[in-house]
Amino acid sequence: MTVMKEGAHGAGTKPVDVQDPRLSRFEIVREGARRDDIEIVTYESQFPTPNSKAEKRVVRTIALFFLLSGAAALAFLGFYIWWPWKFELGNTSSDYYTVLLGVTLGVSLFSLGFAILTWAKKLLPHEVSVQDRHHAPSSDDDRLIAGQTMAYVVDELGVQRRPLLKGAIALGLAPLGLVAVAPLVGGMIQNPHGDDDPMLFTTGFKPRDGELIRLTREDGSPIRPDDVSVGGQITVFPGVPHGATNEYADSPTLLIHLRGGDAEKARAALDADRINQGVMWGNYVAYSKICTHAGCPASLYEQQTNRLLCPCHQSQFLITDNARPIFGPASRRLPALPLEVDDEGFFVASSDYRETVGPDFWERP
Amino acid sequence: MSSDTPAGRRFRVFRRRRSAPSRLRRRVGAVVRMAAALALAGGVYTAFAPGALAKDTPQLSAAAAEGKALFDNSCISCHGANAQGVEGRGPSLIGVGSASVEFQVGTGRMPMARQEAQAEEKPPQFDKAQTKQLAQYVQELGGGPQLPSGELTVDLAEDPEALARGGELFRINCTSCHSFGGAGGALSSGKYAPSLHDATAEQIYAAMLSGPQNMPVFGDNQLTPDEKRKLITYVTLQLQQDKDPGGLFNLGRYGPVTEGLAIFLVGITILVFTSLWIAGKS
Amino acid sequence: MKRRKFDVAQVPANVGKGVDDRFQAATPLRGLLNKVFPDHWSFLLGEIALFSFVIILLTGTFLTLFFDPSMKEVPYEGSYSALRGTMMSAAYESSLNISFEVRGGLFMRQMHHWAALLFMAAIVVHMARVFFTGAFRKPREANWAIGVALFLLGFLAGFTGYSLPDDGLSGTGLRIASAIFLSIPVIGTWASASVFGGEFPGHLIIGRFYIAHVLLIPGILLALISVHLGLVFKQKHTQWPGPMRTNANVVGERMFPRYALKQGGFFMAVFGVVALMAGLFQINPIWIFGPYRAAEVSSGSQPDWYVMFMDGLVRLMPAWEITLPIGDGYVIPPLFWPAVVGLGALTTVPMFYPFIEARRLKDKASHHLLQRPRDNPERSGVGAMAFTFFIIATISGGNDVIADKFHISLNAMTWAGRIGLVILPPLAYYLTVRLCLGLQQHDREVLAHGVETGIIKRLPNGQFVEVHQPLGPVDDHGHPLPLEYAGWVVPKKMNRLGALAPAIKGFFFPIEKPSEAPVSPGMPPVSPREEREEITTGR
Repeated sequence: MTVMKEGAHGAGTKPVDVQDPRLSRFEIVREGARRDDIEIVTYESQFPTPNSKAEKRVVRTIALFFLLSGAAALAFLGFYIWWPWKFELGNTSSDYYTVLLGVTLGVSLFSLGFAILTWAKKLLPHEVSVQDRHHAPSSDDDRLIAGQTMAYVVDELGVQRRPLLKGAIALGLAPLGLVAVAPLVGGMIQNPHGDDDPMLFTTGFKPRDGELIRLTREDGSPIRPDDVSVGGQITVFPGVPHGATNEYADSPTLLIHLRGGDAEKARAALDADRINQGVMWGNYVAYSKICTHAGCPASLYEQQTNRLLCPCHQSQFLITDNARPIFGPASRRLPALPLEVDDEGFFVASSDYRETVGPDFWERP
Repeated sequence: MSSDTPAGRRFRVFRRRRSAPSRLRRRVGAVVRMAAALALAGGVYTAFAPGALAKDTPQLSAAAAEGKALFDNSCISCHGANAQGVEGRGPSLIGVGSASVEFQVGTGRMPMARQEAQAEEKPPQFDKAQTKQLAQYVQELGGGPQLPSGELTVDLAEDPEALARGGELFRINCTSCHSFGGAGGALSSGKYAPSLHDATAEQIYAAMLSGPQNMPVFGDNQLTPDEKRKLITYVTLQLQQDKDPGGLFNLGRYGPVTEGLAIFLVGITILVFTSLWIAGKS
Repeated sequence: MKRRKFDVAQVPANVGKGVDDRFQAATPLRGLLNKVFPDHWSFLLGEIALFSFVIILLTGTFLTLFFDPSMKEVPYEGSYSALRGTMMSAAYESSLNISFEVRGGLFMRQMHHWAALLFMAAIVVHMARVFFTGAFRKPREANWAIGVALFLLGFLAGFTGYSLPDDGLSGTGLRIASAIFLSIPVIGTWASASVFGGEFPGHLIIGRFYIAHVLLIPGILLALISVHLGLVFKQKHTQWPGPMRTNANVVGERMFPRYALKQGGFFMAVFGVVALMAGLFQINPIWIFGPYRAAEVSSGSQPDWYVMFMDGLVRLMPAWEITLPIGDGYVIPPLFWPAVVGLGALTTVPMFYPFIEARRLKDKASHHLLQRPRDNPERSGVGAMAFTFFIIATISGGNDVIADKFHISLNAMTWAGRIGLVILPPLAYYLTVRLCLGLQQHDREVLAHGVETGIIKRLPNGQFVEVHQPLGPVDDHGHPLPLEYAGWVVPKKMNRLGALAPAIKGFFFPIEKPSEAPVSPGMPPVSPREEREEITTGR
C-alpha cells in the first residue's frame, strides 16, 4: 500500500508502514521526514520533565508578551480614534499623534514577535535534522532525452531545410516586432529641437515681438536698479505670463549688485570676453541661476568672495570673472544675461542669453 | 527667545564652539595688535593731521558717547579711529549702520577672537545696553541701515496669510544657504551659513539689512520691512517654535544624511541583534 | 431516511481528503513541511529585506488611495498654515493631505519611507554577507546576479518614490535626473525630452514616475524576489562547515514547526522596528520643503542614502569635459562618467564576479559550504576594496553636511574624497589580505600547538614555557599531533573549551561562538545520540 522510497540518507531509521495503527504521531512525522531524506538527529524537549517549573515560567513569559501586544494594539486604536490629530501650529498635542501611533504599534508588533520567537526558541523541542541536498545533475539519460527532444522539434519544423520559410519568418516577424515597439517609442519620443524656439537654447528672456523682457520678482513686479542694495542679490524671472513658474524652469536668473571695486573687476573680465561684452549695467550683473553642471539653482552667493556655490555638487563660480567655474565638477561658466534699463527705469534683458543655459549636452554648439 | 524652544534645545548640541586661543597667543596677539594700531594711528594722524584737526567732531548723543568709549576700548585696533577702518585688519564702519553693529556685536561675532575667514558666533562680550550704545555711535558716525522700532514679527491673528508668504520668501531668498529647515549649510572653503535655530528676530532683521560677512544684503527696497517681518515670522514660528509633527526626533532636519545614518545605527543594529538572539542557542 | 451524523472531529480529515482529491497537494506539502534550513544569524539578513518589502507593499497600497499623481497647479487649502494659499502641484498637495488631512497618513508615509531605507540597507548588508562568505559560488551565480539586479531595481524604486511628492527636494533630484539624461552622448537631449515629455519639468513626469513606482518596478521586483526565493528553496540554503556538515547535506531545523515560527516572529520584529522608527524619527518633512520651483534650492540637498554613492561620485568628478572638434563641436559633459557610466558599471560588473572568480581559480565544483572570509583573502580583499569605494562615495554624497557640522572646509572634503577614492580601496585590499593571512596563520598555529592556557611553567633548566592545551590527540612526548584546518572556528581561548565561563554572556553569544556546540575540528563529529530517547510531541 505504501511506497517505500529508498532514500539515500534514510539510514538512521528503518522504513515503517505508516498505516500501522500502533505508530505514534511523531513516528509518522519521522517517517515522512525520512521519505524526504531527512534524518531527525536530535529532537528533544528543552525541559527535563513535562510541566516543569522552568517550562511554566517560559509559558507565562510568552503569554505576558501576547497580552502586552494586545494591550499596545488597543492603545494604538485608542490613540488613533481619540487623540487630536489635526495639524496645529506650535507645540500642541497633535504633534505627538504620529509618535503615539508609532510607539504603540511598534511595541505591539515587537511584543508579538518576541512572544513567537520565545515560543520557537524556548518552548519547542531542540532539533537537529540532516537533509540530503540532492544537488546531483539530472541523469545522463534525461539530459540526452531533453536535448534530443528539442533538436527533434527543430528538425520537425525544418526551418534549416526550408530557406524560403527562413526569410519569410524574418520578413514577417520583424515588422510585427516593430509594431510592438512603435507605439511606445512613437508616443514617448519628442524632438528636442522641433519647436520654432528650440527649447534648449531659448529662455523666457527672449524678446517677444520686439519687446524686451523685464526682469521681475517671483510675484511679477518689475525691478528698479535701486531695489537691490550694494552687495545684494535677487532672484529674477522673465516678466512674461507664468514667468516665475516651472513653465520657465530654465529662466531663473540671479541679479547681483556688485560693490564698486568688484564691479570694475567683473566689467573688465566680461568686456575682455568675446561673448560677454557689455552685459553689465552699472554695477549690476545677472547670471543664469541654473547650474551648468546638473541644473540645480547655483544660488549660494558669497558677497565678499564673490563666489556662487551650487548646493547640489558644490561647483563654485567666480562672479568677477565671467562666472567661470573654479571648483567642483562644473566645466562651463554660467551664462550672463545682458542687462538694460528701460524708459520707465526697470531692468530688462537686452536679448536672450548669449550662451546655452542649463546642464551640458552633446550637441551644444 | 528661541533657545528655550525644543528645537533650540535640540540644536544646541551642534552649536559651534571654538576653544579659546592660548593665553600666550592672546597676549602676543594683543601686543602686536596694539603696536600696529599705534603705528597706524600715528601714521594716519601725521598724514591727515591738518584735515583731522580742521574737521568738526560730530556732536554725539549721550548714548553714542558711551558707545564711543566702548569703541575706543575694544574696536579701535581693527576698525581704526572714528571707525575709518584699518587696511588689512578691519573694514571701515562708516555707513554700515546700527543694524550691522547690533548683529555683529549682539551675536558675539565681534570683537573677533582672531583674524580668520569667518567670524564665529560666541557668547556676546557686551550686554544689550552696551551693544545699543555702540550701535548708536556707529549710526551717528556715518548713518546706514537701522533696525525699525516696534514689533519685528507679524501677528498671525491679524494677517493669517503672513506665514505662508513668509515661507515663500524664505524658500526663494534664504534656503539656498540656510537650508529648508534652517539648519544652516556649508559654503566654499570652510565658510558656512549659520543655523537659524537660535537666531532672534532682531538678529535676523539686522542680518538681512546689513549682509554680514558673506551674506548678501537684502535692503528695504528688495524685501520691504513688511516682507521681512513675514519672513521672520516664518522662521521664528514655523522653524523654531513649531514642534515637528513627524516624531519625537527630527534628526536635525538635515535631510537624507541623518536619515541614512539612522537606518543603519538604529534599524539595522536592532535587527542584527534580534537575529543574533534568534539564531543563538538558548 | 436516516440523517448522517455530523462528526466535528472528522472535518479536517475530510477537508484534507477533498483538497487532495482535487489538487494532489499532500505529496508536495510533505516536502514543504519537511524542508531543513540551517540556522545562523547571518542567514536572517536577507529576510529583513524581504519583510521590509512586504511592509512597503502594504503601506504603499494605503498611500495610493490618497495620492494624486498630477502636476496641475492648485492652491493649497489644508490645515498646514505655512503653505495655505500657495500654488502647488496636485501631487504635492495630495502628499501634504496624506500627511495632515488623512488620519494616520503621516505615520503611514513615514513607515513607507523608513521601510524603503531599511529594504536597501538590508540588501547591502545581505549582499556583503553573501559576498564575503562565498555564497555566490556555483550553483548560485544566477541568484547573486538577481540580487545585484534587485539592488538596482530598489534604487530605481526609491528614486521614483522620492520624486513623487513633487516637493522642493524631490524636484531638485528630478532636475539632476534630467541633467543626467541630457549628459548621454548623441541621444541625451532626445532621451530627456522623451522621458519628460518636452522641456524639463513638463507636465507628465510625475504621472510617469507614478506608474513606474507603483506598477512596473514593484512588479519586476516582486517577480525577481520570487525567483530569488524560489532558487534558494530549490538549491537549498548554504551552510557553514562544522560537525556533520558536508557539501551534500543541510543540517538545521525543519521548516515546521520551529523555523517557520522563527520567521514569523522575525517578521513581526522587523515590522515593529519600522513602526517604532516611523513614530520616533521624522523622515522627509516635505511640508518645510515647499512646492518644487526651479529657482529654489536648499543647501544640504541630498538623495536618499542608497543614491548617495552616485551623487558622491558626481561631486568628486573633476571638471573634465570632452569636446569633439567636429562641425560646431560636440560635448561629453563630466556628469556623464559618474552618473551614467559609473552607475551602470557599479550595478552590472558585480553580477559577473562569480564567473570571474571561478575562472581565475579554475573552480568548476558546486559549493554548498560557506567559506570564512579569512580563507579566501583575495576575495575578502576585493570585497573590502569595493565597500571602501562605496562608503567613500556615499560619504562624499553628504560631504556638505559633514563639512558644515564638523567644521571642515567643503573644498577640503571634496579633495579628501577624490584622493581617498583612489588611494583607500587598494589600501583596504592590502590590509584585508594581510589580516586574513594573519588570521589563517594563527588558526594553524593553534591547531598545531594547542590553546594558550596562560599558565607559565618553569622548566628544570630555568626556562619558562607557556603550557598549551592540545586540541586533539598527543604523541608519546605529549606534543599535540598536527590537526587539519576544517574551515571553521578554531577555539583559541580556554573558555571555549569549557575550562572557564564564556567571556560574553547573553544572547549575543554567537558573535564569539558559533551556535553549534562542539566546534573543534579536532573533536569527533557529534554522532547521532542513539542512547537518548526522543521526546514525542504528545500521544
